[in-house]
Amino acid sequence: MIQLEKIFKWVNAGNNRTFLLKDINLTINEGEFVSVMGPSGSGKSTLLNIIGMLDEPSEGSYHFLGNDVYKMKEKQRSQLYKENIGFVFQAYHLIDELTVYENIETPLLYQNIKSSERQAIVADMLDRFNIVGKKDLFPSQLSGGQQQLVGVARALIAKPKLLLADEPTGNLNSKQGEEIMELFRQLNQESGTTIIQVTHSEKNAEYGQRIIHLLDGRIEK
Amino acid sequence: MFKNYLKIAFRNLWKHKSFTLINITGMGIAFTATILLAMTAMNELTFDSFNKNKNSLYQLYIETHRPNNTETNSTMPVPLTPALKAEFPDIVHISRYGSIGGSTIRYNGKEFSKLIRTTDADFLRMFTYPLISGNKETALNNKSDIVISQKSAEAIFGKEYPVGKTLNIKIHDEWKDYTVSGVMEDAPLNSSITFDMITRFENFPNYEPYADNWSSSTHDVYIQLNTGVTQAAFEKKLINFIHKYYKDDLEQLKKDGGRPDADGELLRLKLIPITDLHFSPILNTGGVSRFYAYLLLLIGAFILFIASVNFVNLSLGRTFTRAREIGMRKVMGAGRRQILLQFWGESFVICLFSLLMGMLLARLLLPYYKTNFYQAFSTDILRSPQLIIIFAAGFLLVSILAGGYPAWIMSALNTSQTVKGKITTGKNHRLRNSLMVVQFVLSGLLIICTSIVWQQLNYMRTKPLGYNKEQIISIPIGNNIGQERALELMRVQLAKVPNVLSVTGTDINLGRGRDGSTSNSVIGFQYKGKTVKTNWLRVDYDYISTLGLTLLQGRDFSRDFGTDSGVVIINEAMAAEIGEKNPLDANLDLDGSHLQVAGVVKNYHFKSLHKEITPLTMCIRKNWTLSYIFVKVKPENLPASMDAVNKVWHTVNPKAESQISFLDENTEKQYRKEERISKIFISGAVLAILISCMGLFAIVVLVIMQRTKEIGIRKVLGASVLNITTLISKDFIGLILIALTIATPIAWWAMNKWLQDFAYRIHISAWIFLLAGGIALLIALVTICIQTIRAAIANPVKSLKSE
Repeated sequence: MIQLEKIFKWVNAGNNRTFLLKDINLTINEGEFVSVMGPSGSGKSTLLNIIGMLDEPSEGSYHFLGNDVYKMKEKQRSQLYKENIGFVFQAYHLIDELTVYENIETPLLYQNIKSSERQAIVADMLDRFNIVGKKDLFPSQLSGGQQQLVGVARALIAKPKLLLADEPTGNLNSKQGEEIMELFRQLNQESGTTIIQVTHSEKNAEYGQRIIHLLDGRIEK
Repeated sequence: MFKNYLKIAFRNLWKHKSFTLINITGMGIAFTATILLAMTAMNELTFDSFNKNKNSLYQLYIETHRPNNTETNSTMPVPLTPALKAEFPDIVHISRYGSIGGSTIRYNGKEFSKLIRTTDADFLRMFTYPLISGNKETALNNKSDIVISQKSAEAIFGKEYPVGKTLNIKIHDEWKDYTVSGVMEDAPLNSSITFDMITRFENFPNYEPYADNWSSSTHDVYIQLNTGVTQAAFEKKLINFIHKYYKDDLEQLKKDGGRPDADGELLRLKLIPITDLHFSPILNTGGVSRFYAYLLLLIGAFILFIASVNFVNLSLGRTFTRAREIGMRKVMGAGRRQILLQFWGESFVICLFSLLMGMLLARLLLPYYKTNFYQAFSTDILRSPQLIIIFAAGFLLVSILAGGYPAWIMSALNTSQTVKGKITTGKNHRLRNSLMVVQFVLSGLLIICTSIVWQQLNYMRTKPLGYNKEQIISIPIGNNIGQERALELMRVQLAKVPNVLSVTGTDINLGRGRDGSTSNSVIGFQYKGKTVKTNWLRVDYDYISTLGLTLLQGRDFSRDFGTDSGVVIINEAMAAEIGEKNPLDANLDLDGSHLQVAGVVKNYHFKSLHKEITPLTMCIRKNWTLSYIFVKVKPENLPASMDAVNKVWHTVNPKAESQISFLDENTEKQYRKEERISKIFISGAVLAILISCMGLFAIVVLVIMQRTKEIGIRKVLGASVLNITTLISKDFIGLILIALTIATPIAWWAMNKWLQDFAYRIHISAWIFLLAGGIALLIALVTICIQTIRAAIANPVKSLKSE
């Protein structure tokens, strides 16, 4: 599903070139649940953003579902992204002005799905996450765990094949964190969604089938 | 999808109420001002264009090339019209147009005063003044036919059907019966031609004696050309006509040494397109230059622009605080176009509300605006497609720019960074700053112009005119009493009033009285082989002493010399014109006699200060009808004297229509145009600076919000309130100083141009610029400081926590 070859990412600060990622070669197959670990500044988030097409490397190639991402036209890439990738953030990043329902609905709007169909999909999702009763609340009225639940629901609404999570439990207490991780495992096993998560916690990393350790922009081992 | 955008827009606007309020109020006020100004300008610019034949209608005028100047005159001799009609098949319709002014009309024992115009039958065919009843082809077939306006019909006949009724009308001291042959719609407010009633030109005073007289010009002439004929081509054709009918005048001009025009002609008959009538300086109605209409549009555009800049800057500032949202939407798959649309939706909503508020306010303010700025005004203008297109285009442009531009920049930024809220806003300050500079350039311009216009107006009001204007009451005599008799009676009656010092009469008012009329009488004659032109003024005994003019040489008119009609008194300018060493030796061939110069008076401003003092000749000759009585009263308790004089006047002439007034009121009225401009300028300047400062205020709030952390850290490090206020203010003060530097030369150039309109004008001095700049700066500084000081005295612990 994902093939990264010779990925380099650097930034120039004055005369010094600081490498964020160095020679990353990585293959991830469909249905995998991968955890990425490493100390602060090791390039975990950068890697995730590159996989999620939010960022581009300075060098290297990336194939996603057989498509050479960097040779695609902007429009096609955006289409590929919209249909296949969902994102979950540490700080939830819900849109404050929208209700729970509308937050979850928004990705569908950007895919031009019809109103009646949207309603059905969102209702389904609310049901599945047990948040039907909260659908008209605004993010500020929810607890952190509930907000992240909405964040996950939003990431999954368009039925992506790949779910990317950047420290999804970082702002949650351990019990809330566990719930989210259980949800991830269930997703991976029941729906076959590929999941890549960045985490600091050994315990959460164990939920994945494979752990990738990053240090100073390189994959260890 | 669009519904969703709107919903988000509403929620966002509601959440940030203060910004929304500033935006909507600012834009709303700007829209109000622009709507009113644009309506006024459109009304001016569309003068006379309601005529269906507007592209082929013209007024005739004669251009005389004299040795020293070129003179234009739109009055024509009576036989010209039949001659033109006979010679040129290109003329579809032609009509003479003679104004009689106020005439008395009797119907069923009641008297009315109406404006009667005399025209040829073609008049109704060429102009678009539709008849409500009657037939426009035949309505002026008979000499006794009269067509009346709807308003007059209602006033005179009430609910009666007017057509076929007989009116008894006094034209030129002669009562005659006229039959109403039609009722026409009232002329639109933007019609140069105004009338209450129209009758045939044969009823014009002195029609018959002048029917073959080519040397006496008494009325205007309008023509309608064949659609294929251009103005230039027809003017060329008229050259031969002039050669044929104006032989004598041409010879005289040649003798005088007149300077021919580009085609080698000394005398030309030319055309003014009807749509230029309102603006033409050729006519004695004194054209209002199109410049003023464009000035209004410009000021309107300025104000709208200033408000739009606020809008753009605020949206820009706020968009950066909304970077995360934009990033998040992109993560969720939003394309650039969709983000643009969403932000445009928000600005569209604001614009829409502002426009609605603007229209509502304009509607409410209209009566006030009409009484204070501009009366002649119909709201039909609002239906003009041009105006609607301009507004729609401006509306879209503003909303796209304000909403779209910031979103466009934001959506181009790297997604992963915007999601984290990590964006540098440095680059975009350049746009914001340049917009603010332009905003303050415009505000500065308006403030400077306002002060200069005000100064000039004040100068004109207070400049000594060479005569006493405070103590003199001017009485318009009117037509319903014998003029000489009225003066005599007044002299006798007022002798008993203790406050009255002296009484005299004249044919031309000073300034513009409550009767609203001005006239001008210029006579040209031969003096020792050269043509001399002079203003001609009928006066009466005691004129010079009543007005307080200074007699430099010779004597005043005096009853000791009988009627004293054989002599004239001239002003210094006239003495210089005739160039005699002793002007009292001069004998002038004027008004059909030899008139001896009896005295010379010091120059005084008998016309408005727009004009240089020109030669003037005064006489007491009864063939020139008196029109005004001047009464000089004691300086104490002027209102009481006014009442006393008014009472006496009404016993002398119980039917008097026009109100009497002091001369200083009359002279003020001459500067009404300037007063109007100054009012518009002042309002424009106040609005501009107000809206600019609203924007400035909001920007400062934004900047402080963005720099809360920096301010907190600085305070922890020991910065004082003054340090921090200076830190935040200095950028803005710098911008305003730049703006004022740019505005100064532009304002200087523009106002210098405007002042060229006045023969007597102020000098623009540097302190005006310093003062205007100082005011602008002070207002801005206060605006900035209110916010910064608040931020500076806030507890740093709080502001640091918020990060």
